[in-house]
Amino acid sequence: MIKSVASEAVMRRICISLKSSQFSTASQVQPNAKPPSFRTSENDPQKHTTAHIGQFYQIPTKERKIFLYGGLPKSYEIQTKTFNETCIMIRKPSIDIINCLKSLDYSKPAVRFVLFGKKGNGKSLSLAHVLHYGYKSGCLLVHVPWVGNWMRRCKETSNSEAKEGHIDLNLDAAAWLVHFKSQNEHLLNNPELKISKDHVWSKRENTPKGAPLTELIDFGINRIKYASSCVVSLAEEIKQLTTGGHCKTLVAIDGFNAFFYPNTRVFTEKKQIVHPHKVTLTEAFLNLTKFDWNNSAILLTQLLKKIRRLIYLDIFWDEMDLNI
Amino acid sequence: YPSYYIKPVHKKEVQDELAKSGELQKLVHMPTRAALNDQTCSPAQDDLINLFINYIMRDGLKVLARDLVERAFENIKRIQLEKYHKCASEEDKQKIELNPRVIFHQAVENCKPILNLTPIKRGGVRYQVPVPITPKRSQFLSMKWLIAAAKEKDSKVRFHHQLALELIDAANNRGRVVKRKQDLHRQCEANRAYAHYRWS
Repeated sequence: MIKSVASEAVMRRICISLKSSQFSTASQVQPNAKPPSFRTSENDPQKHTTAHIGQFYQIPTKERKIFLYGGLPKSYEIQTKTFNETCIMIRKPSIDIINCLKSLDYSKPAVRFVLFGKKGNGKSLSLAHVLHYGYKSGCLLVHVPWVGNWMRRCKETSNSEAKEGHIDLNLDAAAWLVHFKSQNEHLLNNPELKISKDHVWSKRENTPKGAPLTELIDFGINRIKYASSCVVSLAEEIKQLTTGGHCKTLVAIDGFNAFFYPNTRVFTEKKQIVHPHKVTLTEAFLNLTKFDWNNSAILLTQLLKKIRRLIYLDIFWDEMDLNI
Repeated sequence: YPSYYIKPVHKKEVQDELAKSGELQKLVHMPTRAALNDQTCSPAQDDLINLFINYIMRDGLKVLARDLVERAFENIKRIQLEKYHKCASEEDKQKIELNPRVIFHQAVENCKPILNLTPIKRGGVRYQVPVPITPKRSQFLSMKWLIAAAKEKDSKVRFHHQLALELIDAANNRGRVVKRKQDLHRQCEANRAYAHYRWS
C-alpha cells in the first residue's frame, strides 16, 4: 500500500541541514524572502488535495493540543521543540485515506484502513495527519497513541475483578481516558451524548442510564480501580452513540499488532507472561475495530517489522466474526 | 621517532602562509612524522576542538569522546535554534549565535584564568601565592574546568547535554565555570601581599 521513496527521517534531516545552512551565522536574514516551495500555507487538512503532495503544512498551535498526551513519535517531538513548529509532510497515503473518508457511505458498516510499511516510513505521522483531519471535520476521536506502551512498558498491572484471569492496566487506562477527554473536549459538551444503560461498578457506585458521557469518563479518571472496565464500557457506549447518529467517530490505533503479539512484558504476580487477549483494554479496542457499527472509520498502523504478521491479524478478525 | 623529525603541517592555509614567508623551503626536505588520525586538511577541522576531545577521552576511547563532543555541539545548536525561533524581533534573532564552534571558542576564551595560585613554602608556612600562567596552561585549565563542571550533574542528565549547557553559559559569561575563574581571580587579588614570595 505504501512505498517509501524518500523516508520521513531522511526528509527531516534534509530539512535540518537546509535550515542550518540558511541560518549558520546570526547576521543575514533577508526581509523580503519568498516562502520556500516545500511549504504550503494551507493548514486545514480538509482542503488538502493531491496537488499538495510533497509539501509541508504547519499544524496550528491551538490544534497541536490533540497530540498533548502522545500521537507523535518521540524523535519528531524533539524536532518540533527545536524548530518551534509542528510541520507534517503531506503524502499520498494520507491524502488517499482522507479522500476515502470524505466520500465514504457512512450508513454502511465501518471501513477499516491499515497503514503498513518498514520502520521509519511515516506510518505514525500519516496517522497523525488523518487524525488532524478527523479533528477538523468534527469527528469524535478515539486515538490510541502507541499500543506498545501498554504491552511492553505498562505502568502497573493488577488482577481484574470483573473478569476472572484477566489483567487490568489501570494507570494506563486512566491516562488514556485523560487523553481521550482532552482530544474531544469540544464535542463532549454536546448534550446528545448520553449513556444508554446503567453501569454498576460496586454496591455504592454506579453510573446511571441517561447520564452524560463525560460523567463516565470522569468516573474512570477519578476511580482508577475501575478505569479499565470504564474504558470497555466507554467503547460500547461510543458504538451505540455513533450507530444512533449522534456523532461521527474516527478510531485511530497506532501499533495495532501489539494487541495480538504474545510476547508482551505484562506479567502476572507469578511472573508469567500475559497474552494481550487477557488484558481488559484489548477487548475494548478490538470491539471498536469490528464492522458491526456504522457512521465511523477505523485507521490502524502496523507495529512490527514483518509483514506476514498481518495475516495473523486477519485470522484473529475471522475468529471474532465467528464469535459474533 | 628520532628527535630531528618535524611535526607535519596538515592545514592548507598554514602551508600557504609558510610558502609566502619562505619558511616552506626549509621544511620541505626535512624528515617528517606522520600526521595523527584526527589531523586532516578539511576546513571543518578545528585544532582546539580536537584538543578538547582528547581531554574528554578516557581509556583511549576516542570514538566515545568524539561522539560526546559532537552530540554536545548538536545540543548547543538545538538550544540556540529553539531560542532563535521563539524570538519575536529581527534584532533579537541577530544577537543569537547559532554556530556551536563559535560558542565553544567563546566559552574557552571566557573561562581562561590570568593568574593562578601556587603553594610556596617560606619559613615553615605554605602560602598561596598568585603567579602568572602561560597561555597554553590557561587554555588547558579552562577546558579542564568546563569538563569537570559538565560531570557535576544529576545522574539522569546526559553528559553531552550538561556540557552543552555549560558551554552556552560560559560563552555568555555566566555559569559555574566562569564563576570558578572569577573566584580564583578574587583569591589572587586577596593574596596580593604574598606576591613577593615568588622571588624571595
